[in-house]
Amino acid sequence: MDTAVALNPRAADVPESREPLLEVSDFSLRRGQAVVLDGVNLALQPGETLGLIGESGAGKSTLAMALIGLLRAPEVQLEGSLCFRGTELTRLREADYRRLRGNKIGLIFQDATAALNPCFTVGEQIAEPLKRHLGLSKWDRRERAAELMHSVGIPEPRLRLDAYPHELSGGMQQRVMIAIALACNPELLLADEPTSALDVTIQAQIMELILDRVRELNSSAIFVLHDLALGAQVCDRIAVMYAGQIVEEGPSERVLASPLHPYTRGLKSCVVELGSRRLEPIPGQIPPLDAMPAGCRFAPRCPKAKAICGEQRPQAEIRDGRQVACWFID
Amino acid sequence: MQDALNITPVSGASQWKRRFLQPLLRQHSAMVGLAIIAVYVIAALFAPWLATHDPAAQDLEAALQGPSAAHWLGTDSYGQDLYSRLLYGAQLALIIGFASVALGLVAGVAIGLTAGLMGGRTEWVLMRIVDGLLAFPELILAMAFMAVLGLGTENVVYALALSFVGPFARMTRGDVLQVKNQPYIEAARLMGVSTAAVIWRHVLPNVVSPILVQAGMRVSIAILLESGLSFLGIGVVPPTPDWGLMIAEGRAFITMAPWISGVPGVALAVLLVALNLLGDGLRDAFDPTTQKDA
Amino acid sequence: MFQAASAKLAQTLLVLLIVSAASFAFLKLAPGDPVSIMLGSDYSKASYDQLTHELGLDQPVVFQYGNWLADFVRGDWGTSYITNQDIFELAVMQALPVTLTLAALSLLIALVIGIPTGVLAALYRNSWVDVLATTLAIGGNAFPSFYLGILLIWIFGVDLGWFPALGFVAPWEDFWQGLWHLTLPAITLGAWYVGLIARITRSSLLEVLGQPYIQAARARGEPGWRVVWVHGMRNVLMPLVTVIGLQLGGMLRGAVMTEVVFALPGLGMMVTTAVLNREYIVVQAGIMLTGLLFVAVNLAVDQTYQFLDPRLRRR
Repeated sequence: MDTAVALNPRAADVPESREPLLEVSDFSLRRGQAVVLDGVNLALQPGETLGLIGESGAGKSTLAMALIGLLRAPEVQLEGSLCFRGTELTRLREADYRRLRGNKIGLIFQDATAALNPCFTVGEQIAEPLKRHLGLSKWDRRERAAELMHSVGIPEPRLRLDAYPHELSGGMQQRVMIAIALACNPELLLADEPTSALDVTIQAQIMELILDRVRELNSSAIFVLHDLALGAQVCDRIAVMYAGQIVEEGPSERVLASPLHPYTRGLKSCVVELGSRRLEPIPGQIPPLDAMPAGCRFAPRCPKAKAICGEQRPQAEIRDGRQVACWFID
Repeated sequence: MQDALNITPVSGASQWKRRFLQPLLRQHSAMVGLAIIAVYVIAALFAPWLATHDPAAQDLEAALQGPSAAHWLGTDSYGQDLYSRLLYGAQLALIIGFASVALGLVAGVAIGLTAGLMGGRTEWVLMRIVDGLLAFPELILAMAFMAVLGLGTENVVYALALSFVGPFARMTRGDVLQVKNQPYIEAARLMGVSTAAVIWRHVLPNVVSPILVQAGMRVSIAILLESGLSFLGIGVVPPTPDWGLMIAEGRAFITMAPWISGVPGVALAVLLVALNLLGDGLRDAFDPTTQKDA
Repeated sequence: MFQAASAKLAQTLLVLLIVSAASFAFLKLAPGDPVSIMLGSDYSKASYDQLTHELGLDQPVVFQYGNWLADFVRGDWGTSYITNQDIFELAVMQALPVTLTLAALSLLIALVIGIPTGVLAALYRNSWVDVLATTLAIGGNAFPSFYLGILLIWIFGVDLGWFPALGFVAPWEDFWQGLWHLTLPAITLGAWYVGLIARITRSSLLEVLGQPYIQAARARGEPGWRVVWVHGMRNVLMPLVTVIGLQLGGMLRGAVMTEVVFALPGLGMMVTTAVLNREYIVVQAGIMLTGLLFVAVNLAVDQTYQFLDPRLRRR
């Protein structure tokens, strides 16, 4: 897996001490009685990419939706702080939040086929944020939309401006989605499993495209992924989530090379390595939200769990340049 | 009616409960509808005992009276007792409503089954007849049949039944075509089960619930059409106690005696609302494709 | 594409043929002998045979049908025995515009009230707005239009005197007078449609608002009203048009009743009067005309689908 790190040369030279673009501190999200996100701490520097890794149901997508403000009160209850460029997002008025969405924060959905409105042309949908946030004229919007389509590798963009989503292939639809998310040069791009709905053959292309565009615009990005190896390969840092909590977070190469949390270790051993017979799935599944254990949420499935794990929640500790939440870090 | 009820699935009673009764019981508005309908059914069944007067007895001296001890809901322009007419009107409305739908259902299902199972030229001809029936709005169709058959209670039932044949036939055929191509039907045939047995045991149980749902919703249309035809003067003939006729009769006296049309009008409206509530409940309970919150 | 269009055309022609055959069959089935009706009570065998021959009634039924269809297509629909009026003139030039105007106005009222009601019910789901809208929807949908008409005449026509109780003034002759006379009838007929439109708007919008493309529109910074009214409603139009088209039978049913209650000289009034007068030739014209109308509207609804849903468009 060392090759993965080599593919990502920027990882080492990101300075750690700058003012973070996004700071999530002690952030919790409740839906009624269920605690969906529990005490999340994260910081993202400008130009940095972060991978949110975990099984389905870990709360990765929920965090992304909360960041862009599509999950807010009264639908859910938020606690703690989401600080974006010095602005407290949890207390932002809806009208002000709207000015951030699609403008300073972009979101790429998992399934472009479902996320593009079937009744409007792709040109109209790309042009929307250009009108809303940049106030471009009709003519300029069309020009800019065509440029954006070109920049995400859609051939003959002028012909495709007036195409409806169903007239494009899945890969092309996802490229349109990327063009929409990047239309206003966002400072933060959220990508929710951007390739998992696509054919394996074009997954790499799309991932490459997003990374290229993000680097070119010097934006920060958060990738929601379920694949630890892929996350480590494309992101500067990764945060491993389990049942709404971050269990381990740190620079990609270190987390992948020597995971400290038992769950990260389990995830790593799930990666199928060619020619290796070592494949140990993690037994059990994420407990339902209304039956979360009082202590460490991973305890029921943890091979190393002791009595304390079931009783008290472990606090995140800084160890080896990363945060880990476990009672028994060895 | 009997025929319609006999074609319930062959499965056990407990399964019937789980599949149909429990989902229906969960629909509160449907239960309200059912309760109201039950009141109407009781009123209709016990009309001879509940009525205070002969519904067709005229008493011109007591004409156009408001509600009183003698005439609980007042009298019409002929001095007929509105309360008694209301009860017998419920009887008539329910009988015509259910009988016409049952007749239309039996005929429509028979045509649909024949078309779907026979295929070929028979199917083509039958379905073109059905197309013809479906090419007209129900009321126009019923009016045309009334013109051919002549006025009267029985003819209203036939006219309405004929105008319901089309929808039932088309629906049954569609369901049969879907079921017919299932492997288990082919398997039953190969095992030497007779065609009639295949229809009875395997095809009908699969098409029965959507058709019964459809029938439930048609009853309210039937009662609306029946009272409408009578209101227009081309349905039931006076002095039969019919709500449509009573509304038509009371129309001329709306300013001086609003109760004459008000009594049957409100009774009809409430019954139709109740039938619609029940129909919606049936649809939501039996048909998984429609939305629960529709 | 050509094949699909020609198949559609052939299918429509076949239905039209069936409609015409059914209308023709009606006159054949109708009680009474048209020749003796036309001749009156006293006639000779010779004059009877002569008229039978003149009307072509001595020919085989298939020829009679052919002749009738040819006459029908030419607009030669015969003359009313009672009013001596040309039936084509009566049905197409006089009655049809009245019914169409009434239907259009009712639909307009129903859309203007029904759509916002349905949207509010969907947005404030399970609130009192929703309960009220659903109750009104079910009530309006079930309430018999002829009794509603009578009530409206009583309250607004006679008691308050705000609107004329009966009668018809053609809006194309005197627009405001016509509109004034049509207000109560249009409300009567529209009330039935309001509930339907509100219900289908509510349930379709609820489904659409749960779609990812709605989230995506919000994620682009689109304001809430635009998300609902543009991104959402654009996708609700298709089921809405489908239901409006499917319920055309109910619309015509209500139109007949409304016309009779308000004494509007439309198709429903024409057919009702003709049935009561046993003037079957006029009834037949009414049947044929409503059949054609039905087929035409269904075809039009079919065509709108392509316009409303780009996925059904052929390029």
